[in-house]
Amino acid sequence: MIMYTVTIANRDGAQYCVDARRPLLETLREQGVDLPFGCKYGGCITCAAKLKTGAIDQRRQVALNNRQIANGYVILCVARPTSDITLEIGVESHEKLYRNPFLDPLKPHELKADIATPKEG
Amino acid sequence: MDGQCCGPGFKSPQEAIKAPREKLLYTIAIYTGTGIQKPDYLATVDVDPDSPTYSQVINRLEMPGIGDELHHMGWNACSSCHDDGSMSRKYLILPGVRSNNLHIVDTATDPRAPRLHKVIDGAEIKAKADLSGPHTVHCLGSEIIISFLGNAKGEAPGGYLHLDKEFNIVGRWETSMGDIKFGYDFWYQPRHNVMVSSEWAAPNTFMPGFDLEEVGHLKYGRELHFWDFEKREPVESFYLGEDGLLPLEVKFHHDPDSTHGFCGAALSTNVIHWWQDDAKKWRWEKIIDVENEVHPEWPIPLPGVMSAILISMDDKYLYLNNWLHGDMRQYDITDPHNPKLTGQVFMGGLLGKAPIVNGVEVAGGPQMFQLSLDGRRLYVTTSLFSTWDNQFYPEIREKGGVMVMIDCDPENGGMKINEDFIVDFGKEPNGPSRCHESRYPGGDCTSDIWL
Ligand code: FES
Repeated sequence: MIMYTVTIANRDGAQYCVDARRPLLETLREQGVDLPFGCKYGGCITCAAKLKTGAIDQRRQVALNNRQIANGYVILCVARPTSDITLEIGVESHEKLYRNPFLDPLKPHELKADIATPKEG
Repeated sequence: MDGQCCGPGFKSPQEAIKAPREKLLYTIAIYTGTGIQKPDYLATVDVDPDSPTYSQVINRLEMPGIGDELHHMGWNACSSCHDDGSMSRKYLILPGVRSNNLHIVDTATDPRAPRLHKVIDGAEIKAKADLSGPHTVHCLGSEIIISFLGNAKGEAPGGYLHLDKEFNIVGRWETSMGDIKFGYDFWYQPRHNVMVSSEWAAPNTFMPGFDLEEVGHLKYGRELHFWDFEKREPVESFYLGEDGLLPLEVKFHHDPDSTHGFCGAALSTNVIHWWQDDAKKWRWEKIIDVENEVHPEWPIPLPGVMSAILISMDDKYLYLNNWLHGDMRQYDITDPHNPKLTGQVFMGGLLGKAPIVNGVEVAGGPQMFQLSLDGRRLYVTTSLFSTWDNQFYPEIREKGGVMVMIDCDPENGGMKINEDFIVDFGKEPNGPSRCHESRYPGGDCTSDIWL
């Protein structure tokens, strides 16, 4: 079994060892980390966290637009680690997750993957 | 409460108007998406002015788990079962939009302290009916249908879940979704064998928040659908275009003989009116158009965002909200083709017109509302949906939602904020929560349908 270490930056650097094949929401909650969630299939954004270091596979998520991904957000209910990682969890990590669309429009390449157009130049 | 007959509700809208004044009100309050790791709950609010706990939350029924996002709710029975002595308005159904769970709450055994009767697991609904994202609940004679906005993967258009009166899953209610692209709200008028449904978006589109740009990519609805209610299939659709972006709440007149109905198009901030003409053809028109407002610092003009509408029990007034502008409005719709603005108040909103109401700083704007059966008291709450709140009103995290009461004049028109009533959900024991839809134990202006 491949295991990786997850460090939670905003919980005093607490560390957990997790199975690389299973979603982080599950493996972290099993070890007592109190995490927000809603749909549990990658569609609602409630479980979003910020990836500070390392890499994950979150191909199954459909909640994030490309700007949110570029800002480091990951959807824990479907994301699996592909290396040791450091996360910032909970709403404290959400300051860039939500934006007022009338104040701060998305550019075409920042939309969700299915409707985004590649960045020019 | 229910008059002389043995079944629930009232013989007619006229009888409902004469019912005793509401003393309790139920509203859902959420922690999902707020950062507080507690379950959402059903709050009982004391609305009896002679009670020592008037204008306070007197009970909180927590759901079993976190992350439901309670939103709308509905009764197990309404006036459509008025002749059926075996039925009673006992259970309130509380869907969790994100979790897909349906909570059945018994409000009759102790109306002040409702208790959880049963939970239908969201996974079971996905497995048996391939549905997620529950929204509107209506009873249907003695059974129940609930609109769901997506399939098990959160993709549109979803469909309708059919429950029997013991809350067992019967399966899908509809025979066909036809060419419908999205689901949301619905209302039916049995004497005309018609149901009308509206369109928000797929759960995977609206749940993470509102990307305005997705409207142009046709990820949000702009159509209304007319159903053959008995055959359970859509027969005609109206493309509303730019006038009908995000057609959300659907209401028929309460008068069961009427064919007139209304829908609030949230993003266009218009009211759409439909009716059947002399040749029995359905027609539609735009009757109210709230102009966008220019915000001094923002590049894009601000729409009102009319997320809800409500028709008074006497069918004389239409109430609507502008969640971003911050006003509630009352229109006289005696002539449904020519509504007249008869009342307007501000509470919260982004234009800064009423940041404080009765001493409480309002985060959010007027959002959901419920009118007393006699048409004199309108209870208004401020939160729309956790992710959308977080985008437009981030301060709601610390301040929570608010419930305000507006005194309405059903004779001459007019509305005014009641100065003796305010429920500040920012002061809840577990921290700031957000209140949304409200209902009264004896029936209200958004549930009863007459056969
Ligand atoms: S819980 Fe909904 S996206 Fe993870």
